[in-house]
Amino acid sequence: MEPSYDSEKVAEIHRHLHSHLPSEPALRVKALESLLVEKGLVDPAALDAWIEAYTEEIGPKRGAMVVARAWTDPDFKARLLADAGAAIDEMGFAGQASGHLQAVENTDAVHNLVVCTLCSCYPFAILGMAPPWYKANEYRARAVRDPRGVLAEFGVGIADAVDVRVWDSTAELRYMVVPQRPAGTDGLSVEALAALVTRNSMIGTHRDLTVSGA
Amino acid sequence: MDGVFDLGGKQGFGPVDRTHEDEPYHSQADARAYALSVAARGERAYPIDWFRHTRENMVPTDYLTRPYFDQWLQTVVAMAIDAGDVSLDEVISGKAKALSRSANPMSVADVRNMLTSPASFEREANGTPAFEVGDSVRTDERGRSGHTRLPAYARGANGTIHAYRGAHLLPDAGAKGEDVPEHLYTVGFAARDLFPEVDNDDTIYLDLWESYFVSA
Repeated sequence: MEPSYDSEKVAEIHRHLHSHLPSEPALRVKALESLLVEKGLVDPAALDAWIEAYTEEIGPKRGAMVVARAWTDPDFKARLLADAGAAIDEMGFAGQASGHLQAVENTDAVHNLVVCTLCSCYPFAILGMAPPWYKANEYRARAVRDPRGVLAEFGVGIADAVDVRVWDSTAELRYMVVPQRPAGTDGLSVEALAALVTRNSMIGTHRDLTVSGA
Repeated sequence: MDGVFDLGGKQGFGPVDRTHEDEPYHSQADARAYALSVAARGERAYPIDWFRHTRENMVPTDYLTRPYFDQWLQTVVAMAIDAGDVSLDEVISGKAKALSRSANPMSVADVRNMLTSPASFEREANGTPAFEVGDSVRTDERGRSGHTRLPAYARGANGTIHAYRGAHLLPDAGAKGEDVPEHLYTVGFAARDLFPEVDNDDTIYLDLWESYFVSA
């Protein structure tokens, strides 16, 4: 059968699942895993492949390498800001949710912050798994209404003269922030620069990177 | 639709909890739930907005309280029940009666392919875009029935076109299984125009389709 595309029907299914599945999350996941495998809908090897990909291979180190290259290669930076999806493809990082990637740049006068208020869209291919707070109700609700308050909780103070730009990922565009290069890093290699770039700085909940990487 | 998922600007939420922020998965169950929710879609290429809309139709307390990938998993199971790949009885009893008719599970090779193949949602444009960068636009104040991507906090609001993004698949139609390309724009809204207590010059940007606007 094809999907019904019927809101009421899936809402009713959810109510049944709410009432009848184990209430403890770990038990619920276990029960559904064994059934889906038994039904032939899931290959256990594919499950391991998904988990391993985002444990070993794909994570914020990719984004950090993109940022470090942008700091050191003005032509690459121009390509990144013009078409980030194509730019990361040059580095072999194209993947899930990177097809319409946008890079937004912090400056002395601008701070960027990324959120998805309607679900939790995130550029997996470049930043890996989203941190739990990014997917949490608190961040989704408050990032658009009180971004400076949220940033203060992350220890980020934004001067009044700096404009905050919040990007709510309501379509298939995904956003990554290009943080500012810290001072005192002139002689560093691209690899050493990448080690200074934090995951949160590419979401926008960290602003001032430091040579110590903290 | 008006639902609890539409969280932007809602008040009463406390501080952001940064627990487990440096681990890709916060528990073994979280990792399994993630992998199941992506692998169990199998050969079915469900429209992404049917997935989103099915999640939006969860019991509201589940939506607000359950772990994120646990919600994804229940959503995929609900879609599989809806499409007849597994029955509600089987899910509730935990016992399979027979192999699914569409038992052709995603392989490791499929996973590798998906991990390196970004999807494009841009399509051939149907007509020319009505707006240009710098134009003023106003969003519909009633929103839309069914699945839509105009958040409640940005309804009936005046904004400025920041960028034109090409024609992308309209989520409202995607959630009904229809491919309808429509012009997509990034629109900047003055935060002070969206929320009464704002007293700075911050800007909130949203990606919005042309039919979400009304004539000014």
